[in-house]
Amino acid sequence: MKKAIYYLNQFFGQIGGEEKADYRPDIQEGVFGPGMLLKNWLEPDIEVTHTVVCGDNYFGSKKDEAVEIILDLLENKTFDVFIAGPAFMAGRYGFACGEICKAVKETFNVPVLTSMNVENPAVEMYRKDIYIFSGGRSAATMRKDVPTMADFITRLLAGEETLSAREEGYFPMGIRGETFVKPPKMGADRAVEMLLQKLNDDEYETEIPIPKIDKVPIAPPLADLNKETVALVTSGGIVPEGNPDGIQSASATKWGKYDITGQGELKAGEWETIHAGFDPSAANENPNVVVPLDAMRHFENEGKIGRLYHFLYTTVGTGTSQAEASRMGNEIANELLEANVSAIVLTST
Amino acid sequence: MRLEIGNFHIQDVDFGETTVFENGLLTINKDEALRVVYEDDRITDADIVIARPNDPIRITPVKDAVEPRCKVSGGELYPGLTNNLVPAGTGRTHVLKGGCVLAVGKHWGGFQDGLVDMSGPGSYQTMFSYLLNICLVADTNEDDENHEQQKKNTALRLAAIRLSEYLGECIRDMEPDGLEVYDLPSPNELEDRVKELPRVVYVLQLQSQMIENGYNSLVYGWDARNMLPTLMHPNELLDGAVVSGSFMPSSSKISTYQHVNNETVKRLMREHGVTINFLGVIVSNLNVALEEKQRSAMRIKQIASSLGAEGAIVCEEGYGNPDTDFILAISEFEDAGIKTVGITNEATGRDGRSQPLVDLSIKANALISTGNVSQILKLDPMEVVVGELESLTRDGNSGGWDGSIKADGSIEMENNGIFCADANTGNHFKTVVEY
Repeated sequence: MKKAIYYLNQFFGQIGGEEKADYRPDIQEGVFGPGMLLKNWLEPDIEVTHTVVCGDNYFGSKKDEAVEIILDLLENKTFDVFIAGPAFMAGRYGFACGEICKAVKETFNVPVLTSMNVENPAVEMYRKDIYIFSGGRSAATMRKDVPTMADFITRLLAGEETLSAREEGYFPMGIRGETFVKPPKMGADRAVEMLLQKLNDDEYETEIPIPKIDKVPIAPPLADLNKETVALVTSGGIVPEGNPDGIQSASATKWGKYDITGQGELKAGEWETIHAGFDPSAANENPNVVVPLDAMRHFENEGKIGRLYHFLYTTVGTGTSQAEASRMGNEIANELLEANVSAIVLTST
Repeated sequence: MRLEIGNFHIQDVDFGETTVFENGLLTINKDEALRVVYEDDRITDADIVIARPNDPIRITPVKDAVEPRCKVSGGELYPGLTNNLVPAGTGRTHVLKGGCVLAVGKHWGGFQDGLVDMSGPGSYQTMFSYLLNICLVADTNEDDENHEQQKKNTALRLAAIRLSEYLGECIRDMEPDGLEVYDLPSPNELEDRVKELPRVVYVLQLQSQMIENGYNSLVYGWDARNMLPTLMHPNELLDGAVVSGSFMPSSSKISTYQHVNNETVKRLMREHGVTINFLGVIVSNLNVALEEKQRSAMRIKQIASSLGAEGAIVCEEGYGNPDTDFILAISEFEDAGIKTVGITNEATGRDGRSQPLVDLSIKANALISTGNVSQILKLDPMEVVVGELESLTRDGNSGGWDGSIKADGSIEMENNGIFCADANTGNHFKTVVEY
């Protein structure tokens, strides 16, 4: 049988009301309050072995300490899942449930889940990190909210397939993955029906919600370009012949940097592109069309730019996910900042 | 313009002395069929293997899929490519329904080639696992291409079309099980009640990113890169005016089979006169330079506006760079007051947390998702491999990498490399949801 540990605040843990909100975290065997309900719904597959109780004020005012104490209390326990709440609309309790679930997940690598009302501010704070089921506004919905969590966790621990956030009833975690429309419905029918709804001004729901777009403001111009160090960075996959760092030709997760000291241009045969997203013939014939080293040397000699930085940075931009691109961009930018590079020429294909 | 598609439903395929279709069984004279394949000197070694749904078979590298068809009257198949350049889309076309010719490399694969599992969890990924596949497994003398990641696959793609036409010949003079009739009159012939219905266009953005000829999708045998968007009667598309190219990660490609079976166009044809007034198909492209993208988007909008379109469905063949053209077309339409639905796949990364499309706009507020190219698939070993599994890692398949093939023969790969899996023509029931 799998084992669960449950987290409650002082009120639901039956220690007391607001006067006991400074209650220091502690762990006890067995279940209290809503734990009875949880226990009934999890049996016989999962046993709730312990309950952690902590005062809401204690957690809110001494968060780091509370988390440390609770993690210590859990250290020598064996458990397969950690469950907290439901916290309904309670702000402090919601914060505690979210924070402790996140910490337990990171420390013990077990599934964690809680339940809150959509208006609880902790939903937005933690929904990308942990399962937060959409719950009612008050304890009146306890008998509905606890079984929803219990049913999900039973199936999850049994290794069964779980459905989308919407179908399961938890707040979306921002993870988009494939599934099959059940019963099967072709994209064609979904598209035409959505168009008919849109034409009729009926409600419809897009299958790809457009996320908030990160806009990076354009940097102010440099006052004295002839005193600045400029670097060349490319997502065009220009690498030394043979691709020494094994950068992937598509969906790249690696970048490389290559010394261009003393080179007036990128010579065909010594440099090549490994980018699989465009016709490489022109770039292989003359790699400078992707990374304009020849032109930059010309500007350097002319004194138009102060100095060309002696490393070329390369990755591949085709099929590369936005998250990987951001990570690589950050890593490269940090190196360039440390090297006092003040401008870059970023080329694609 | 009237097109009759006569369907002959295949229950099974086998080899025998004559190529004949009888009582649901397609029998193939393999020697005769291979002679048609060998008509092209570039084919050096060829075999035909049958793969049925639920067979323990893994097929890779797959280069294109073609439906066995026969043009009984009113034109020729794939005009401008394998046959004379005549208009497509009228008369009678006979189809061996449920069957499919797959062009499979005996050895060499590439970036654009795909994998089909006939059973197991991998078989849910693509519509081609549900067909009776007649696999043309061949090698060619296009040796200069063997070690290229990007392959034109010219000889094999054309051979698959020839083989499909050879097979289709056996039903030329027979009576079909059923007849699909596609009849879309010109605007001046429309009944008044149809004129009252919302006017809708379908936009097909074909893959055309490669500069050199031989890789891009073909429109009447013409590289889609070289054209301005053009208006086509839906029947032309359903009758072979457009042939698949050989570029783009496989799951995002539209095969020749899917062009003539474009389910979105078929559904729009069925809705014509019922809920909509279907104006036709605008065939466009996906070139790489910004000005080319803008020019195409401008033309698409102008054609749709001139026709008085009120609604549109836009289909993108590909992901990444072409997302720009897709979003641009949708934005232009929405700005012109044309209510638009887009159909495309996503690249949300292996952890599913990345932005789904390279380019975004809040105007793209009605999208259908057909898959996630970066979905990781772990697939058990398969008893039979048709083609060469090694090509998945060796030849730069977009869904494979060094280590994709495990010691026990099981594989780990991205959906990217599953053959035509995301079916942006709307032919499959896969989608993406948020977890």
